[in-house]
Amino acid sequence: MNAASIEIRLSLPLSAFDLDVAIETRARSLGIFGASGSGKTSLLEAIAGWRPVRSGRIRFGDRVLLDTEGRTRTPIATRAVGYVPQDALLFPHWDVRRNVLAGARASEAELARAAEVLEIGPLLDRSTATLSGGERSRVALARALCSRPEVLLLDEPFGALDLPLRRRILPYLLRTRDAYDLPTLFVSHDATEVQALCDVVAILDRGRVRAIGEPADVLHGHGMPARGADNVLSGRVASLAAGTANVALAPGVAVQVPAAGLEPGARAVFALGADEILVSTAPIAGISARNILAAEVESIEARGEDVVLRAVLGEAGARVRVVVGVTQASTRELGLREGARVFLVFKTQSCRVLSTSV
Amino acid sequence: MEFFTPATLDVLLVTLRVAGGATLLVTPFAIAAGWALARRDFRGKSIAETLVALPLVLPPTAIGYLLLSLFGRHGFLGERSLGFDPDLLFTWRAAVIASAVVAFPLAARTARTAFEGVDPRLERMGATLGLARGRVFRTITLPLAGRGLAAAIALAFGRALGEFGATVIVAGNIPGRTQTLALAIFSDIQLGADEHALGLVGLTVVVAFLVLWTVERLLAPRRAA
Repeated sequence: MNAASIEIRLSLPLSAFDLDVAIETRARSLGIFGASGSGKTSLLEAIAGWRPVRSGRIRFGDRVLLDTEGRTRTPIATRAVGYVPQDALLFPHWDVRRNVLAGARASEAELARAAEVLEIGPLLDRSTATLSGGERSRVALARALCSRPEVLLLDEPFGALDLPLRRRILPYLLRTRDAYDLPTLFVSHDATEVQALCDVVAILDRGRVRAIGEPADVLHGHGMPARGADNVLSGRVASLAAGTANVALAPGVAVQVPAAGLEPGARAVFALGADEILVSTAPIAGISARNILAAEVESIEARGEDVVLRAVLGEAGARVRVVVGVTQASTRELGLREGARVFLVFKTQSCRVLSTSV
Repeated sequence: MEFFTPATLDVLLVTLRVAGGATLLVTPFAIAAGWALARRDFRGKSIAETLVALPLVLPPTAIGYLLLSLFGRHGFLGERSLGFDPDLLFTWRAAVIASAVVAFPLAARTARTAFEGVDPRLERMGATLGLARGRVFRTITLPLAGRGLAAAIALAFGRALGEFGATVIVAGNIPGRTQTLALAIFSDIQLGADEHALGLVGLTVVVAFLVLWTVERLLAPRRAA
């Protein structure tokens, strides 16, 4: 019995290189991260059955979609995958409602559920030609969910949108994940999205998996630059006061983030820039920043002029990892080294909440 | 001289009946051939493409003669092979078949272009949503290719309307039975009835104009909403 919930072994020729992928993970939500032209879309199309595969095996849980050795090739129509391509691919001759109900297994009840989660109720009677980019993405996601899929394939569903809009739509994906709890493959080249949505991420480069692991670990090593990288953290809202929410990340580790529509008990997901965190070797008093957290330096990695410092908050068993960007000079002057006790300081407003509705 | 005599009306009715019948006959074949050429890869596809286009370049009289041989008493589809007389030659049904054969390449090629204009990823998305092939074709491919297919049908009608060479060989030029506008104009000119011929030409121009105008309207890019 294989405990891995997602198994993807595929070999197929692409025009510039061969896609040769072997991924086996217990993750419920797998991110595929890579630059344009690394084979991400081809991988999803192969899983959906849109692309012929030379050899391979695709399994989600107990469902084997493809096994070339066992001569299993599930036809496209019975793969039960919910696929949201980058360009949404809505049917232009139908209105939104007909699009969402297009699936063979779609029903009004499913439509009502998706409309609530994705807030597309007001769009249902519109023509697809009148939808904005973000609305198209949400309708395509609703259509996929209403077909009652057993797997969700999301191919940069917001890839065509600009960053502020992407951030406004991310909450819908988080809500979809919480509401539907489907095994999901999420293709993206946005490290913040991948961290927010995926348990495990695979870095794809010219058709090969270069690294696989927890997003924070893998992305900081491969995908993200030292500067401008985001930490994506999540926890439960413990309390609200004066426009801020107190979010418990782990026992004994709480941070203040903007309330931004969060409610007590809700799960809050927020991004915190690695460059927006200050490091102090001594406790600080008399500072306006609301977040001063004790941490331990786990690793220090020099990248040119910059240093990527990984710090751990909380006690063993419930630890929260945070990546901090510092300079070589600060590292030297503060005498930072692995195992050192430090304090991480950041403002409430430096935390950008990702999980609220628009 | 009165133009709209019962005989003229007969010519118009025979013409519409033959062109309409030919359009009905050719449409399913043209759609099937257009779809296969647009969506399928198979051995001998280039030969199939050429065969589909062949009636476009063959002299209609050659097509007429081939049909005459095919449906003649000793032909492959004649009385001797079938064991009964299909009673086709020199009837309006023969004119329908001749017109359909001549119209087929235009209709099939236009249908092919119409199907090629449909993004195949939309069809795959239909399949991914669990729709069976027939349903994908009926609810996604056909409606999206609809305007192009309607143009193919209108073109078939237009081509059948003007058909002469093949028709005169397999159906003759029998007033009231197989005499279409094209054949009647020929007869009038032969008989020196120039004025009546001119009237028929005018009638033909009006009908042909309406058909072509419809095709143009169908193929024109849809205006943005």
